[in-house]
Amino acid sequence: MLLMGVCLSMFGLAVACLAFGAATRTDEQSPVAAQPQPAAAQAAAKTRFFVDPVALPAGAQARVSIEALLLQIESHVRLEQAAAESFLESPTPALLHSRTISPLVN
Amino acid sequence: MIDGQSELLRGLTPEEAEQVRGLAARITLTSGAELFTLGTEADRLYVVTRGRIKLTLPMQVRGLERNILVEERTAGQIVGWSALIPPYRFTLAATAMVQSEVLAISRDALREHFAASPKVGYTIAMNLAAVVGERLQLFQAMWLREMERMVELRCA
Repeated sequence: MLLMGVCLSMFGLAVACLAFGAATRTDEQSPVAAQPQPAAAQAAAKTRFFVDPVALPAGAQARVSIEALLLQIESHVRLEQAAAESFLESPTPALLHSRTISPLVN
Repeated sequence: MIDGQSELLRGLTPEEAEQVRGLAARITLTSGAELFTLGTEADRLYVVTRGRIKLTLPMQVRGLERNILVEERTAGQIVGWSALIPPYRFTLAATAMVQSEVLAISRDALREHFAASPKVGYTIAMNLAAVVGERLQLFQAMWLREMERMVELRCA
């Protein structure tokens, strides 16, 4: 009886080892895994056990940045017009070359 | 209100200004409404009486065409002087930034009035020349500033 229990335990241990080996072999020996992975894929792998952070779709991100850029352009135009108007009120080389705080040129 | 202090009617007597006002039609624009678009036929001159009108030009931004602010016009200022200058096509687009009101005066009505009242025609033509000249000088200065920056960047 004792011998039978030992045999069953050994058998169970062997099955567990085989199952563990099979589970880990794909990660270690896969040719894809051997190649350097893109940063995005590595980042995804790191966070796979956690809820992915809320991220805007690529299109939305591009749209937001374009809107921000358009605001900068609009601000730049207003600042440049103000600088040009100052020059016209009092035309001097210094006013013509004056700097503005526009983020597009600083 | 369009009055003697507006760009268009500067220098006219109250009676002369009233006669020009009589040629105009009042147009109310909701916020975001287009007054005219780039390239369309310009047959009416506008004077802003309330609100704010944005003049824009299309610009390529990261491959997308977007209307970029060129100038803003507020109460008393003229919009659309292309209506009096060949080839009578708008060279900008005009959009109301907030609820606005403009007076629209047709080119034909103005011409008839100028023919009947040459003094009024001369005064208004000089007022328009001043507006066009100011814009030319303004953009000349802006163009030179941008050129300077471009040269700086190229030589950096």
